[in-house]
Amino acid sequence: MNQYGSAGHRPPAYPTQSWYVAATSDEVTSSPLGRRALDTGLVLFRTSDGAAVALEDRDAHSAYPLSLGRVEQDLIVSSYSGFAYAADGSCVRVPTQTEIPYDARVRCFPVREQDGLVWVWFAEPGLAGLRKPPSVPWLVDDAWSTVGRAWTTEASFMLLHENFADITHVAVVDPSFAPPVLSAGPVPLLEVEVTETAVSFGRNYPPAPLAAWHSALLGTEPDAVFAQREVGRFVTPGLWIDSWEVDLDDGSTATFRFTHAVTPVNATSTRHVWRVSRNFAPGEETSAQLTPLFTDYYERVRSILETMQGVLSLDGPRPDVHVAADAAAVQVRKIVNRMVADEQLGGTR
Amino acid sequence: MTVTQTVVREFEVDLVVRETEQVAHDVVAMTLSSPDGTALPDWTPGAHIDLLLGDGLTRQYSLCGRTSETDAWRVAVLKAPDSRGGSTAVHDLGTGATVRVRGPRNHFPVVAAKRYLFVAGGIGITPLLAMIYEVEAAGAEWELHYGGRTRKSMAFLDELEQFGDRVHVVPEDELGRPDLDAILGEPRPDTLVYTCGPEPLLAAVEQRCAAWPPGSLHLERFSARKSDEPTQDSSFELVLQRSGKTLQVPADRTVFEVVREAGVSVLGSCLEGICGTCETEVVDGDVDHRDSILDDEERASNEVMMICVSRCTSPCLTLDL
Repeated sequence: MNQYGSAGHRPPAYPTQSWYVAATSDEVTSSPLGRRALDTGLVLFRTSDGAAVALEDRDAHSAYPLSLGRVEQDLIVSSYSGFAYAADGSCVRVPTQTEIPYDARVRCFPVREQDGLVWVWFAEPGLAGLRKPPSVPWLVDDAWSTVGRAWTTEASFMLLHENFADITHVAVVDPSFAPPVLSAGPVPLLEVEVTETAVSFGRNYPPAPLAAWHSALLGTEPDAVFAQREVGRFVTPGLWIDSWEVDLDDGSTATFRFTHAVTPVNATSTRHVWRVSRNFAPGEETSAQLTPLFTDYYERVRSILETMQGVLSLDGPRPDVHVAADAAAVQVRKIVNRMVADEQLGGTR
Repeated sequence: MTVTQTVVREFEVDLVVRETEQVAHDVVAMTLSSPDGTALPDWTPGAHIDLLLGDGLTRQYSLCGRTSETDAWRVAVLKAPDSRGGSTAVHDLGTGATVRVRGPRNHFPVVAAKRYLFVAGGIGITPLLAMIYEVEAAGAEWELHYGGRTRKSMAFLDELEQFGDRVHVVPEDELGRPDLDAILGEPRPDTLVYTCGPEPLLAAVEQRCAAWPPGSLHLERFSARKSDEPTQDSSFELVLQRSGKTLQVPADRTVFEVVREAGVSVLGSCLEGICGTCETEVVDGDVDHRDSILDDEERASNEVMMICVSRCTSPCLTLDL
């Protein structure tokens, strides 16, 4: 069922039968936005009724990106050929003749916009109706304050998922940023729960102090201890969410919730939209303090994953030595490998 | 020594029987949803769930609804005269009853193809029905040959009407059995065969598909495959790579039992090689596959094994656990 699979005969590096975030809502306007995802050029724009549209970013007349053109009365017009296309991808006007070339069109992708994200379906359009993009309502909920950025990491989307699946390395990468309990000795029991398509995990930590920046944010004594909990979830190949929860003395829970939308650009490059939401310490001022802190951490992660991809690209993959803490990552890899294998025509499973 | 303990388990939840419907003479379709209406885990066609019916009674049922319906799962249950108790217990569940459910998992997935040939026997229609909705939406070519004793005994005939002449209904009392020689006699290019039903049908389809390209046939068994020859069990050494443990599997114990006893968390459900829950990656060793899931190609690749029944013929087996 993979007539639109990745280009050429290379084995696909990612599943296509999943919704992926192509852009954030604020990026899509009445001016065309060009973006690559799943080895495909996309042009994204909005029609006058506010609907987001995703078409293939290539004029049917010649190999010229439509994203370099303009949107006129809900049509996107190539700034080379002058061909104009409607939101469904059909060509509706050519400047040099009155007849429109038979069946001239560009590929149109199903789009769902929710929670401030623009999700695009790259597999057979007919299958889009059988799956729903995952919901991340806290990104647009007033009870949560959210910071975040988006960038491209020059590494496979699986390296990002595997990084999210095991947070024990945070203490190694950035000890002053990490929760001190991560370096306080043996890590507690890791509980992993699987379904056919998703993996969840959780760990309960004994009472321990918080990182200095974290305790300052909560207004607690620097050496005060709190029970803490980590929960994470591989939702789809395009979405990872996890939380760090701190049980406060007044019975409430202060939660950081991390949302990672990962979209393969190609086999070794990934668009990464990350969001850090919190249900405490609201306000712009706090957000302005947190943005550089998390940006710095995720830039370190990006740099490490890019270095890792460099080694993989030069010397090829090798069986990694796994430890018990990798249990969630192992399950995620199983699910993704199966999806990729099943999407290959004829199947090789 | 720093020890990271890990527990891996499958999703498990109490669901409520929202609706029951008699869809054939001896078949009841049940719609299950969570008590508070929250979304259930995603699944893909071919997936099944376990119903935990109490007293250690666990039965697998294919999901036979639409994957787009995220707040409900549909299963169809045949009241089998030779039932081991499972189907009677399920038939006794009325609307409003609560049942413990585990899964979903899928060892019968729809692999990408241009054309599909579905062969269903009786209650074996259930996984294929979900697949039909999927491949129809994907715009693939397909046809279904659906055999059963009588029209009255065949579930979902009304639901299949919408697909017109792609569906060939073959009630035995009117038309005899599906003509497998005509359907499968000539290998068809770019076509995958999916079949599910009673063992004699599966064996007959397997036999016809021997002449097809490797990997063409996909089938799911509801009961364990009967072994043709007596097997001799021997003991062997077992290395669990991730946990750093070396164990001994005696001739009278399974790999699954030995792993569990060593305190390493593994998934398991049917423990007779039909559900696929305990599928484990093989790092090294010659596996003696005894499950009813893997096909010949998958067995030969030696990449995974079902540790509840399969064993090892070499002195040492190394697993990714």
